[in-house]
Amino acid sequence: MTRPSRRGVAWGAATLLALGSAAPTPARAQNLLDRLRQAASVARTLLPISTAKEVEIGHGIAATIAGRYPVSHDTALTRYVNLVGLTVAGIAPRPDINYHFAVLVTPDVNAFAAPGGYVFITSGALALIHDEAELAGVLAHEVGHVNAKHVINQIRKSDAMREVKSQLDIQGATLDRLVGAGSDMLFVGLSREDELQADSLGLEYASAAGYDPGGLAAFIARLSTHAGEGALADFYATHPRPDERIERLHAIAAREHLTGGVDLAERYRSIVK
Amino acid sequence: MTRARSARLGVVVAGLLVGAASTAAAQKAQWTDAVFVPGYWAGGRLVQPAANAASDSLALVMSVAYFSAPPKWRAEISRTADGRTMGAPTVLIGEGDRAVVVTAVGATPLEQHALGRDPLVRAAVVFDAGGHRQGPANGRFVERLASGSVGRVVYRRAVRNPTFDLALLDPGGRSAGATLLASGISRVGDQRSASVVATAGARGVDNIKTPKGQVAVTPDTAAITKMDRYSVGTVALEEFMRSGGLGPYAVPADSTGRHP
Repeated sequence: MTRPSRRGVAWGAATLLALGSAAPTPARAQNLLDRLRQAASVARTLLPISTAKEVEIGHGIAATIAGRYPVSHDTALTRYVNLVGLTVAGIAPRPDINYHFAVLVTPDVNAFAAPGGYVFITSGALALIHDEAELAGVLAHEVGHVNAKHVINQIRKSDAMREVKSQLDIQGATLDRLVGAGSDMLFVGLSREDELQADSLGLEYASAAGYDPGGLAAFIARLSTHAGEGALADFYATHPRPDERIERLHAIAAREHLTGGVDLAERYRSIVK
Repeated sequence: MTRARSARLGVVVAGLLVGAASTAAAQKAQWTDAVFVPGYWAGGRLVQPAANAASDSLALVMSVAYFSAPPKWRAEISRTADGRTMGAPTVLIGEGDRAVVVTAVGATPLEQHALGRDPLVRAAVVFDAGGHRQGPANGRFVERLASGSVGRVVYRRAVRNPTFDLALLDPGGRSAGATLLASGISRVGDQRSASVVATAGARGVDNIKTPKGQVAVTPDTAAITKMDRYSVGTVALEEFMRSGGLGPYAVPADSTGRHP
């Protein structure tokens, strides 16, 4: 007789724990059903979402964002924001998606990233930004959300995924539910951890593209001086404390020896008036 | 055979099947190379830097889109004569390290074609005898001449989940000419947008949650379709980075963080 492996023993123990060791009674059967449901729930949250479906969901979420705030028709401004955005997105890209950038016409100060590469910045934010390095930092932060799949990963854990057994189920009404769930997440705010990770990725992308790595921190610091203003209410409600973000950004820049870079303030001022 | 041995065999077979499936998936690769050489474009001419100049100027000379499933591969080479506009792509189809130039009238071995004398085109054949890519999968790399000076700088962007049709790599039969050219170039480019247009339908009013409470929003699908169609173009992006000293034109900081 061969000796049972350690893994085999572990599986056996887990099975006993899951099923219980005695004959099933109604209470035990209910308990078992609950455990099976729980296991199915865990399995459901692990269902991946393909890139094609991510883009479809992102398209819907982006349409909701554009429904809340109108998209700017200023061609020179749109072109400029796309050029800055593509410059930072090209550093550590997800080559399986195309990035699109647009300006939302609203005095609210904010930026959004929908899955699939749809990135928005408000005209209110552009008005507070001083140079291209700051803009690059903000857009790179949003690209970080896309690359780390923050919204998609939250959607995968949401109740809206309950009826999704395969990629083919992500269509029609189910697609709409996933879009609704993703839109709520964007407007209510992502987790503190996701925001701080996006800060870190944004700093990395903007600096590697050749921008002054202090751009994002400088912009966040400027927002602090406008705290309490109505246009910043949603931003403060959906992002970690500015001082915490600035401290972390400075620490990362020091640790990674990120220095130098250009701010291109004149180019920014010549286009964003 | 005992039940235990049978189970073990099953696990091994399943492992092999999973391994085979993942190998098959890993075989497909797709990436784009943007190729730069020292110098700059002036009046439609590529001006080489002086032999003793410590030049940091790089000129975009071509872009190559690669599709590979070893030992077969396809390279679509777009050249520029001014650093701004890209010409129509030349298509190479290859197996291992051998390539044919595909034209509208047929296919000619690269070594017998005039393009075979172009060092940049020859350098675009980045495959070994087994048809595997040589060089890194992603990122920037510098190829130096025997003298130690920079010969080419390549920016490589890999596609994470290639979904191209393997027929693109087949030079045989009737597909060797115009059909192959037409089907390949357009099909690869349109794969994603088609699915978006097909299933992202028009939705009614959504009630979204915000920090200020529920807000009724009518999604603007047309605005996003317009975003999808908008493109600044690779040449404009290249010029933007060049004028700002960004991306490939960024001056690297020295060990103290200072820029020269």
